[in-house]
Amino acid sequence: MEEARAQKSFPVKAKVKTKGRSQKRSPEWKYWSSFKTHQIPNLISVPSLTFSPTPPHTFAAAHSASLTLFSPQTLAPTATISSFSDAVSCASFRSDSLLLAASDLSGLVQVFDAKSRAPLRRLRSHTRPCRFVHFPRLDKLHLISAADDALVKLWDVAEETPIVDFLGHKDYVRCGDSSPVNSDLFVTGSYDHVVKLWDARVRDSKSSLHVNHGAPVQDVVFLPSGGMVATAGGNSVKLWDLIGGGKLVYSMESHNKTVTSICLGRIGRDSGEDSNQFRIMSVGLDGYLKVFDYGALKVTHSIRFPAPLLSVGYSQDCSTRVIGTSNGVIYASKRKVKQVEKEKVSESSLFWRIAPLERTEKKVLRPSHFRYFHRGQGEKPSEGDYLVMRPKKVKLAEHDKLLNKFRHADALISVLESKNPGNVLAVMEELVARRKLLKCVSNLDAEKLELLLVFLHKYCTSPRYSSLLMGFTKKVLEMRADEIRDSEALKRHVRNLKRSVEEEIRVQMSLQEIQGIISPLLKIAGR
Amino acid sequence: MISGGKNYVSSAPAFSNDGKRLLVCSGSTVSVFSTATGSLVSSLEGHSAPVTALVVCPASSSLLTYCWTASVDCTIRHWDFSVPECLKTLDLRFPVFSMVVPSLLSPREETDAKKRHDVFAYVSLQNDNANAKENCPKPSCGQIRKCNLTNFHAVSSLILKETERPESLTVSPSGKFLGIKDKRKLHIWKILKVDSNSAVSKKITLHHSKTITVLTFHPMERIVAAGDVTGRILIWRGFGAKKFLHSAGLVNGRSTNDEEDKPGVRENDDAESCSTWHWHSSGVRLLSFSSDGAYLYSGGKEGVLVLWQLDTGKKKFLPRIGSPLLYFVDSPDPSLSSISCADNQIHILKMPSLEIVRSISGIKPPLSHQDICEGFCSRAAFDYTSGLVAVQTQNYGIQFYSLFANRGLYEVQVCERNHQPVDEVTVVVSLVELSVDGSIMGTVEVKLPEDGFGGLVCLKFWDLDDNKRFSVSTHIYEPHRDAHISAVAFHPTRRMAVSSSYGGDFKIWVCKEEIQQKGQMLQNSGWMCHAVGSYKNKAMRAAAFSADGSVLAVAADTVITLWDPNNNVLVAVIGETPMPITSLAFVGKSDYLLSVCHNSKPQLSVWSMSKLTASWSYKHLQIEAVSCAIDLSYFAVLALLPDCIKGKLQGDGIILLFNVTDPIAVASWSVTKAIGGGLAFLKGDPSEPSQTLLTYINGDREYIIFHPFGKEAFELSTRRQDDLVFEETGQFGYTSIYGELPKLDLKRNLASSISSTASERPWETIFSGSSHMLPPLTKLCSEFLESLLEKRTPTVE
Repeated sequence: MEEARAQKSFPVKAKVKTKGRSQKRSPEWKYWSSFKTHQIPNLISVPSLTFSPTPPHTFAAAHSASLTLFSPQTLAPTATISSFSDAVSCASFRSDSLLLAASDLSGLVQVFDAKSRAPLRRLRSHTRPCRFVHFPRLDKLHLISAADDALVKLWDVAEETPIVDFLGHKDYVRCGDSSPVNSDLFVTGSYDHVVKLWDARVRDSKSSLHVNHGAPVQDVVFLPSGGMVATAGGNSVKLWDLIGGGKLVYSMESHNKTVTSICLGRIGRDSGEDSNQFRIMSVGLDGYLKVFDYGALKVTHSIRFPAPLLSVGYSQDCSTRVIGTSNGVIYASKRKVKQVEKEKVSESSLFWRIAPLERTEKKVLRPSHFRYFHRGQGEKPSEGDYLVMRPKKVKLAEHDKLLNKFRHADALISVLESKNPGNVLAVMEELVARRKLLKCVSNLDAEKLELLLVFLHKYCTSPRYSSLLMGFTKKVLEMRADEIRDSEALKRHVRNLKRSVEEEIRVQMSLQEIQGIISPLLKIAGR
Repeated sequence: MISGGKNYVSSAPAFSNDGKRLLVCSGSTVSVFSTATGSLVSSLEGHSAPVTALVVCPASSSLLTYCWTASVDCTIRHWDFSVPECLKTLDLRFPVFSMVVPSLLSPREETDAKKRHDVFAYVSLQNDNANAKENCPKPSCGQIRKCNLTNFHAVSSLILKETERPESLTVSPSGKFLGIKDKRKLHIWKILKVDSNSAVSKKITLHHSKTITVLTFHPMERIVAAGDVTGRILIWRGFGAKKFLHSAGLVNGRSTNDEEDKPGVRENDDAESCSTWHWHSSGVRLLSFSSDGAYLYSGGKEGVLVLWQLDTGKKKFLPRIGSPLLYFVDSPDPSLSSISCADNQIHILKMPSLEIVRSISGIKPPLSHQDICEGFCSRAAFDYTSGLVAVQTQNYGIQFYSLFANRGLYEVQVCERNHQPVDEVTVVVSLVELSVDGSIMGTVEVKLPEDGFGGLVCLKFWDLDDNKRFSVSTHIYEPHRDAHISAVAFHPTRRMAVSSSYGGDFKIWVCKEEIQQKGQMLQNSGWMCHAVGSYKNKAMRAAAFSADGSVLAVAADTVITLWDPNNNVLVAVIGETPMPITSLAFVGKSDYLLSVCHNSKPQLSVWSMSKLTASWSYKHLQIEAVSCAIDLSYFAVLALLPDCIKGKLQGDGIILLFNVTDPIAVASWSVTKAIGGGLAFLKGDPSEPSQTLLTYINGDREYIIFHPFGKEAFELSTRRQDDLVFEETGQFGYTSIYGELPKLDLKRNLASSISSTASERPWETIFSGSSHMLPPLTKLCSEFLESLLEKRTPTVE
């Protein structure tokens, strides 16, 4: 027995695209791709990005001779500090976010009040450009800085004096981090390929431990346990076990240009088996952001940006991720927080304020209340219930509706305006199947013809669509030659079209040349 | 021998008196379907040629289940279709093309009950001899005659009308009038109350300017409606006022010659008025009044059933039936009716709402537009193991039809498009191929270009899903650029396929699942191109895998190229045939290859793979289809008979069975309608799986399954036990409104009252107790009688 009614509604669909084989939609992939990226343009190369450790997690971006604070909610600049004499290289918030330290290429380190942006202290001791400044995470009184004079200094902020100079690096010191578990331990990485672990209590300026990365160290980060560090340099990110005496644990080499910055990221989600796990996020000059799961030792996510990336930052509440590039654009990404999660938060806060006073017993719904008529609609089916599913409604786009009404030309125009070339092609194919495409074209007025010509100019040489569009373009030009000759605007489009066709022919010619070169080689290789 | 795949819509079906059965003419048998479930209940077998007419005897009681059938084999038979049994056979000596029995329809009057008249049938015959003798200038072989069914001697010699070819007869529901269409005229007879073989009926003729295709009578009034080829519907009211009524003594008030007051009626036609309705864009194919006479149903090629209100001309539609409509039949049950569609489907409609509740579906007919897309039409594909055939349908789908059970299983939609019968054909499913184990299907659809651009070839691979239905797994657009695909073949054991194109290359496709098996990773399967090959840029028209899958043979124009499919290496090139090879097949497990050429120099050649030379060949043999047994070294070909010997044998084709080593045919069978036919070896049905059966499907998709090595008369019974014949469980009358009444639980009631008495003598206690507690007597009766009968104790010996 077969279905009673033979015909259904079939919306016009774009051709199925081939899927990449490796792309697997893991829950983590979904998490990382739930960040929506915005661009903050018009800066000059952003070498450093830092988040304040307390809410609302404002972030500071160093660019040229100024430091700009951004609000993470709106991603708009809130304040700019520009009392620098040279380019700002690095900035750091104190653990309570009240102070902000910034270094510049003149070697000066300045400490600001994060609220009023008033310069409080000027720490001058470095003679060469200072590239690293950092407030220890568990210490509010001191400051670490390092400079191109190969010196690492520990400062007493209040007194404006360096307490200790740590000697030992043989080249520029460009990075460092303080231990998340001990207020006295910190590491620095230098261009002499060496990462050194320093102890502030040991004043003989000898490093407690050092490891050799094998390339100029660009960035170093303590992992949250405090027992491991991750170092970035060259094309690799390496994991070192400090407690085990500086043993190399793993080397992640999925970047293909220098890794410039790394930071810690966390999957800030309440559900899922990988919630609240930490990841290492690394950016490189190849424009890739890689998310590395150091538990499973594999790269779990990767995004490409169209510029060399210099710095990366991730807020502690897991809602914002910022990436600085060399061409002055900050890619700031915010995670879309689901409405439900937000409500949960607001409800729970309401609960604490009001709920205890309310009566706890449930009110019986009466037919006088409108909710009486909605009762039970939100009920979830239990385990053994037989579900009667509502037949799925086929979603029809505008052009589908028009096609169903046989308004072919309107459908073509509507889909041309929607800017999805796949759909345009699908509609064109449907019109061909109805033998109506040429008729549509002959009926288009000049304005709509322009729309069509713009589309043809854009896509007729694209290999996926060219098989239909080439022939179609030719037909359009033949049919509407007179109108095109009359209108200046249409003429311009045709010129563009001509140019793109010529370009394509050139590409084909050069490809053929290459094929001519390669094919004898392949013949020989095949033997 | 199993035959099936008959056409269900060759003539109008008929409902039984209770509306629970639908009788359908299917070839030389009449199939009885249940209207509640749509499944086959029984079939009336006896005629030896197609049944053309079916008349159910109306009766007040639904127990009477008699019908008359007429057939081209010159007989009329009387059946009891509930049993099913043939009661009477009348031999008319002329092929009958249409039959009506008006006297069955007319209401019985009191007088009739006393002196029963003979029942007369009006038949439309084909009489070839009559004209041969008289040597008429106009060959007219159709005749309309009377035939006494009760007291039959021979068909009456009185000829009511002669027509060019046998016309179908239409009778009014009241049984008073009989009509035929004859080109642009309608002839209507008034049927006599008391009929006899020689009595002449009165006749009127109505004229129209277009060829009339169908006519119907109003159930009560003197109204006749006719449809013509342009889609107009004409309604004559009060026809025959002059001729029929005057003579009957019912003088109507008007004088016979006032002609000014007959709107729309052509001069001298005997009708009071004629009105025209026009909605259909092409010829009207069905026309029927509703049983109360208030509505008129019409339908045509558009596949839309139109419901006209007779008084106002207002329309209601049942659109999207998807196929030209042929017949509309009302049932005695007012809530049911049926429409027959040209795609071999009968839809049962729930009446006031015009809703399709059931469909009875036969094998889908071959495409009617094959002339448009010459070379694109696909042959049926056979599933060797499960005995399925996959045929292409009009609405761009594939129907899977079980050959053993003779019923459609399901359909899959290849192109997501709706088919409108009136549309120009622009999309064709041009190839269907099933793998040997029936688990993979490949289809090719072609979008025909508009004015030279926009054509698209799409290859699709399908996998069986959990419900044992095919679902699409991979789309491949333009697999051979813009060249059309000539053949698709599957590897016998692995998930590998080859597609060859007219553009001069072939591609080997591999399912991704297999590639990843080495890494113990089974991902969602998709087909990928594994290799591309071509030979001197020659068009490749056929491809085949050997039985073990180690050799791939691809026909490159006139030579056969042999490839290693795994490494894509050309192994050998053999042959040279006079014409391009169009079909290739490896013969079972033997090392022989079969090739077929067409066109001006047709040839069937057998090539030896061990020697790489031709073994033997037949020239001038037009081969329509070939099939090779999987295990044996036999193969069968379906050849079209050349014109010179067509007269000597019946039919136009011949099936030849060869042993591959021997050029002399082992067996041969002559068949009809061989053009467009197919041939396949099948594994025997589950009861005897060792057998190999041969099936032949003809151009009209009627098929036959037989033992190729048997002595002809092996009777294979149609497998009907797995056809679960559901009995109707529909609810009627009271239960349909209020639901089932709870059954009176006799046992419990009785048990409570009997409990104290001895159980051996229940008849003494059944009626004890107060009378209002007793169940009704009718319910008690059986129980009481049962208790009186002595129970025999089961003896174990």
